[in-house]
Amino acid sequence: MSLQIDTLAYTNQLREIPPEQKLIFAIATLIISLFTHPLIQILIAIWMGVWTVIYAKIPAGIYLKLLIVASFFWLTSLPALMLNSVSVADLQNVLTDSWSGLTLGHYYIYISRNGSGQALAIFTRALASVSCLYFLMLTVPFTEVLQTLRRLGFPVLLTELLLLMYRFIFILLETATELWTAQQSRDGYRTWRISMKSLALLIGQLLKRTLEQYYQFYLALEARGFKDEFRVWHSRHYHPRVRYLIEAILGCVVLIALEVCQDAGIFNRI
Amino acid sequence: MQEFLIEFEQVYYKYLGSQEAALNGLSLRVPKQKKSALIGQNGCGKTTLFLLANGLYKPDSGTVHWRGEVLRYERNYLSSLRQKVGLIFQNPEQQLVASTVEEDISYGLCNLGLPTAEIQVRVEQALIEFGLTTLAQRPVHHLSLGQKRRVSIADVMVLQPELLVLDEPTAYLDVKHTRNLMATLTRIHQNGTTLLMASHDLNLVHSWADWIFVMHQGRLVLEGKPQDVFMQRDLLEELELGMPLIYEQ
Repeated sequence: MSLQIDTLAYTNQLREIPPEQKLIFAIATLIISLFTHPLIQILIAIWMGVWTVIYAKIPAGIYLKLLIVASFFWLTSLPALMLNSVSVADLQNVLTDSWSGLTLGHYYIYISRNGSGQALAIFTRALASVSCLYFLMLTVPFTEVLQTLRRLGFPVLLTELLLLMYRFIFILLETATELWTAQQSRDGYRTWRISMKSLALLIGQLLKRTLEQYYQFYLALEARGFKDEFRVWHSRHYHPRVRYLIEAILGCVVLIALEVCQDAGIFNRI
Repeated sequence: MQEFLIEFEQVYYKYLGSQEAALNGLSLRVPKQKKSALIGQNGCGKTTLFLLANGLYKPDSGTVHWRGEVLRYERNYLSSLRQKVGLIFQNPEQQLVASTVEEDISYGLCNLGLPTAEIQVRVEQALIEFGLTTLAQRPVHHLSLGQKRRVSIADVMVLQPELLVLDEPTAYLDVKHTRNLMATLTRIHQNGTTLLMASHDLNLVHSWADWIFVMHQGRLVLEGKPQDVFMQRDLLEELELGMPLIYEQ
């Protein structure tokens, strides 16, 4: 999956737009989505979806899958948000909040109206912010994010750490896949018991091999004259597109205007 | 008179925790301007030799000379040595450190602290020279093995080394990519770079090399011109190295 996201980031239709612009756009929409109302958050989610799927031409299936993954985290927190329990003696206090419920021994367990509202608010907010981040992830290659951060004065130590982690993710993934395939080809996952054994072996070996790879990587850095700082040069072939710039700015203005209107209570009065 | 670029004299090297020495009193001199090949069984010390040539390891005893001067194991000296001795690792995956092809090629240049304008010119030249222009923006983990090999050579050649050391560069490559690689190496040699290549492909070594080193158990057991080396049929047979097809009966 990670490799797929990376490939898309390198091949999407918005690749040529300068990464600073996409970064600023994603951050701006993210901030807006954090302080606005659910209705506007839904609008943001839809709008970012349009950017990602229609403008950047990211396959809708992959985008949906990613959204579902994010929603799964929200689902796991649902019970904690919505379910409440009080002792039967205090039933009177929660009658207005209780949507429906049942008595279990001395306890009354119910679905909370307040909690449900909260869950919904969290859902729209999560959906909006996640779609902003996905837009960034899917349209800007990670290395460009790092370069942009560096240009904006982000500490070099942090960007280097992130870069090395990024390189290592792929080394790790590849090593894991190789081991997995080798085990599969020798029937290492035939039964549950054998699977567990193979998996344990895989994890142990993964650590060993990763450390080995790390040492090889260190040798390579030394051989190529590593001097305290990891620096590279890259060319720039970006073409800002006015049409997208206008839509991004206008869209953000409209979103903020809608939020202000809603705060003023225009929609409630209608 | 023949000049030598790098010379090993009675070099011993043992890995931590291993029973046997990887290099066992090795003496070897790499002739300048030649295409030398290094053959020997797996584990005979070829890779260790290369890492010593690059100053990545320090011999337990014995000396390594670069152009007649003993290697000094201090930062600045090593850094200039590593620019003159380009090392290409057996596994290109290991050598590619940055995330895109272009960035990876620029990495060594940036370490030299060159001005940006010069880095740009040299990276662009290298991209053209090694046929990597269309791959310049691609992340290295998207490349095929042959492409990675090409990038790893461009990485080193962009630093204009005097000696290029290659550790089994044709391993895993198909016939076409091997041919392309050899053509590249020939071009590099014609431009004045000395080459030292480890290989198991005796046919390739026979047709390509000017000078051959045969290593066994951490020692140099034989060296000479290809025709002279492959005359020593008994010795090669004893070492189980095989013979080039042209000598097989």
